[in-house]
Amino acid sequence: MTDLKPVVDPAPRWVTDLANPPPYKSKPASIPDPPGYSSQAVSGSSKKKDVSRPAPREQPSPEKMDQLKLKKAWEVALAPAKNLPMTLIMMYMSGNSLQIFSIMMVFMAFKNPIMGLLSTNQAFERFETDSNRGSILQVKAAYVLMQVLALAVGVWKINSMGLLPTTRSDWLAWEVRREPLEHAVPALSL
Amino acid sequence: MHLPTQLSALLLVALPSAVRAVFQDEVGHIDYHYELLGLPQRETTFFHKPRRDDKASLLYTLSDVGVLGAVNPSSGAVLWRQLLNGTITDGGGFLRAGEGQNWLASAYGQSVHAWDAVNGRNKFWMDFAGEVKDLEVMEMTENNRKDILALFDENESTVLRRLSGNDGRVVWEYKETSGDVPLQVSTNVEKAFVISLRGSAGAYNIKVTILDALSGKREDELVLGTKADVHDKDDVILVGANSAAPIIAWTDDTRQQLRVSVLGQKTRQEFALSADTISVEIHAPHIVQSQPHFLVHSKTSTGHTAEVYHVDLRTNVITKAYQLPFTSGPGAFSTSSNGANVYFTRITDEELVIFSSISDTVLGRWPLKTTESRLVALHGVSEVVKKAGTDSYAVRSAAVTDTDEWILIRNGDVVWSRPEGLTGAVAATFVEIPESENLAKTLEQEAHSNPLEAYIHRVKRHLEDLQYLPTYLNNIPTRLMSSILGTEVSSHDVKLARDSFGFHKLVVLATRRGMIYVLDAGDHGKILASKRVFDLPKGQKWAIAGIKADDSTGIVTILGTNNDETIVKILPGTSFNIEVLSKGPEGSPATQSAALLNTVSGPRLFPVGSDGELQGLTSDILPNQVAVVRGSDRELKGVAIADGKQTVSWTFVLPKSQRIVDIAARPSHDAVASIGRVLGDRTVKYKYLNPNTLVVAAVDESTKIPSLVIYLLDTVSGQILASSKHEGVDPSKHIECAMAENWFTCTYFGQYRLRDGAQSLKGYQIVVSDLYETDKPNDRGVLGDAENFSSLGPIDAPGDVPLPSVVSQTFILSAPISALEVTQTRQGITSRQVLAYLPENHGIVGIPRMVLEPRRPVGRDPTAAEVEEGLIKYHPAIEIDPKSVHTHERDVIGVQKIIAAPAVVESTSLVFAYGIDVFGSRVAPSFLFDILGKGFNKVTLIGTVLAITAGVMILSPMVRRKQINALWGAPM
Repeated sequence: MTDLKPVVDPAPRWVTDLANPPPYKSKPASIPDPPGYSSQAVSGSSKKKDVSRPAPREQPSPEKMDQLKLKKAWEVALAPAKNLPMTLIMMYMSGNSLQIFSIMMVFMAFKNPIMGLLSTNQAFERFETDSNRGSILQVKAAYVLMQVLALAVGVWKINSMGLLPTTRSDWLAWEVRREPLEHAVPALSL
Repeated sequence: MHLPTQLSALLLVALPSAVRAVFQDEVGHIDYHYELLGLPQRETTFFHKPRRDDKASLLYTLSDVGVLGAVNPSSGAVLWRQLLNGTITDGGGFLRAGEGQNWLASAYGQSVHAWDAVNGRNKFWMDFAGEVKDLEVMEMTENNRKDILALFDENESTVLRRLSGNDGRVVWEYKETSGDVPLQVSTNVEKAFVISLRGSAGAYNIKVTILDALSGKREDELVLGTKADVHDKDDVILVGANSAAPIIAWTDDTRQQLRVSVLGQKTRQEFALSADTISVEIHAPHIVQSQPHFLVHSKTSTGHTAEVYHVDLRTNVITKAYQLPFTSGPGAFSTSSNGANVYFTRITDEELVIFSSISDTVLGRWPLKTTESRLVALHGVSEVVKKAGTDSYAVRSAAVTDTDEWILIRNGDVVWSRPEGLTGAVAATFVEIPESENLAKTLEQEAHSNPLEAYIHRVKRHLEDLQYLPTYLNNIPTRLMSSILGTEVSSHDVKLARDSFGFHKLVVLATRRGMIYVLDAGDHGKILASKRVFDLPKGQKWAIAGIKADDSTGIVTILGTNNDETIVKILPGTSFNIEVLSKGPEGSPATQSAALLNTVSGPRLFPVGSDGELQGLTSDILPNQVAVVRGSDRELKGVAIADGKQTVSWTFVLPKSQRIVDIAARPSHDAVASIGRVLGDRTVKYKYLNPNTLVVAAVDESTKIPSLVIYLLDTVSGQILASSKHEGVDPSKHIECAMAENWFTCTYFGQYRLRDGAQSLKGYQIVVSDLYETDKPNDRGVLGDAENFSSLGPIDAPGDVPLPSVVSQTFILSAPISALEVTQTRQGITSRQVLAYLPENHGIVGIPRMVLEPRRPVGRDPTAAEVEEGLIKYHPAIEIDPKSVHTHERDVIGVQKIIAAPAVVESTSLVFAYGIDVFGSRVAPSFLFDILGKGFNKVTLIGTVLAITAGVMILSPMVRRKQINALWGAPM
């Protein structure tokens, strides 16, 4: 294996100079490219090398890093809300009858937000630093709000399915009959 | 949202087609039916050949409940039946058959009818103004046709009509306005005789009017005897029908002398009867060709005897031919003629003997072989056949026994017996088979001892029970097979015990003839026991004021209207004990009804006197009870009972122009599953569930067209809770009400106006009313969440009276219904059906409560919410769907009342109908949702399981081999 290594990379100069490079073909990773026909090098490397090599990426400053992390955290926080319209449409389409599909939908509608709420801290662990703790707290609050919103959609769904005991009829079985204090017997001929 | 709505709407529309009251494989399994005629009457029962050239004859009868029918003498099966009056009657009526004719003539009340003897089809039906007093078929007429003579009593005048045997048209009519009491008619070839009583009650003379049979002109009139020697019209024993018995016979009221006169003669002959005679009967042949011989059967208190007389037609002299020996014990005689020969059959409690009318030599003698201990024949008819070429005879007799059975005895053997005594039933109740007392005691004992002892005791008991294990194991294969094949386990030697479904109940039935029957509703209505409780004199009926069954002890208490009380004890096992506590009935009816009051020791029946006072009140009656009794005609009274004393707490009096036609109360077992109705929008309409309510239907005849007023009464305060008026009601038709849960229904015949015009139509209608606490949903009315209520409690404002909100709707029925009853189930979860008898279709129909729904939307399609609630669009007409008729193809006649009782399984209600026929079935208004029906194919199920097991057993070695081979084989 070691003797093959210098051949693989870099690609021959004529390959990099091709005006119309051969199209990328996917291939099983286990099969090595024939010598001189490196597929990775064909399209990507020439331009990337041109851009990145002359100006290698410099490490961002801690402030910038915080900003970037915050931005990423906001994205994570708002992600549940982006799914909401989709969920709403699907729930509307699935109808209010008790079927396997709608039951699964409702189950997912509750499972996802609850799991999300339970793992709030894990979700923002990697974005949290000592300096941005205050702003991450806001993001977390937004995240919780979004999950609660998703949960509310689930609640709305089971309510429209009639599964919430919100009406008088749901408590009818616990209401008792009024007992009469007197007892009358009809004593009339058969 | 739309699709399911339409789907369920479709389902609802499709539902009635799927609804079947009875599935075909359940016929005869869940239902039973006694096809009965009633007790045959002596004068209206005979053997007759339905076709002139037929050898076989049929047995015809017009019974004491008004059923005319034909029975196959060899099997006892009913060939056809006709209910003459449309309802149950108190005996009477006439039935005659012309010799060699294929029709029968009958008369009842004001009408004369003729029927085809083979199939029972009506030949003609003629209604007249007067009441029919007698009927005879003429021997022969000028045009070779047999005509009918019918004697009428029309407003004090005697009318004799000759009706054509072909179409019933009147050939001639003879009218006499002498004021005499018309009695009977007789005829010979040329003449017709009208026998009437002249004089006043207690001192009559017999008058014979002789008419020309051809023209109906009066020829002569004779008064027999000089002194008024006929006391009562019952003293005239016999007026011979035709020239085979051209006599008229009567006795004095002390039964000392028999006076006989030949028809058309003024002279009479007297024969002394034995001193202690209590009743006399005369048996004479009916067939014209027979010799004019007759038999006088005189009964004494200890036994009976008979004398045979001959009439000499030339000299008109009656001579005594011979006397039969006196036999102690009861006996019955019957006549049979074969050409000119006349035979008399004598049935005693030991043997059957036949004589010829000529001499007293015994032609045949057979000892009675009966399963019962003693057979007492009251009266009968017989047919004697001389065996060709030999000197021996064969005889078959159909006799009515003292246990109200109709039996056929052929040469001493009882061929069949029909339980005709089940007709004329006046009260019935379901009763549970009591649990074994020992078990109940043991369980109680275990409950009271300490846990360890109880446990040991229980283990011991179970060990003792092991002795029954071999029998149980032995029974398993038969039970399994019967369960798989759907056959039934024969239960002839199985102990009487409850079943786990609660279908095995008993029915105790009381008839107006004073008999009590115990039927097994779980075993095709088999008669388990019967007993005569009262020996009622002729014309008297047993009327019942109240009947009550105690399910835990198996004791049924029956209170009669004449101070009589009967107790039927059902003991676990197979024995019954029918006990009569106090004697009766005696005197005039003293009890109008019975009140079931709660006492310290459980509910007990108390008789209510004719004045509306409760009798025999004791101090252990629980307080705060009100008994509702009938006062006078238009009056209901509430009688409050406290400390053994009674006070009238309220009186409900109808206006003068109204009278009560029916009263309905909620059944004693009326389980209510939910106290409210959930509407489509999930709100609740609360039911008005006041057990102390009563529906009173009254007819108001003050206007030209009568109207029906329906009152809903509170029975504690006597207050009218609701009332409604239906104009244009016919009070002569059935008006009946039924009540259950929070609704009541009434049926009547009335007129209604069409929506689009002034046109008014008439028809049978049913009105159903729902009662709710208020008309607003989610509102429990003025009482709010109070836990109890009192109808007598004080109120603060006039609006605080808890009146129900009533929703009503009326439907038109395609057939009249009567005997309304609502199905009952254990918890009341199952929807209900209104069971009703169809008097014109001879069936019992179950109208689903879903159809009889007052909240059905009128004039528009139901909204989605209403569909969800199960409401269908209102349609004014309810067609009696043959599929909802529980009696399916059975012809059930004369049902007077239907009773229902819950089973252990919630889906099913047991139903029993009585009157003339007896019918019982099981009704599942919401289908059998808790047990497997007979349609469940156990064979397929077990077959599938076996096939799959076999498949697995075959395939598993194959698969295993393949897997092992795969492991050992070379990789490809």
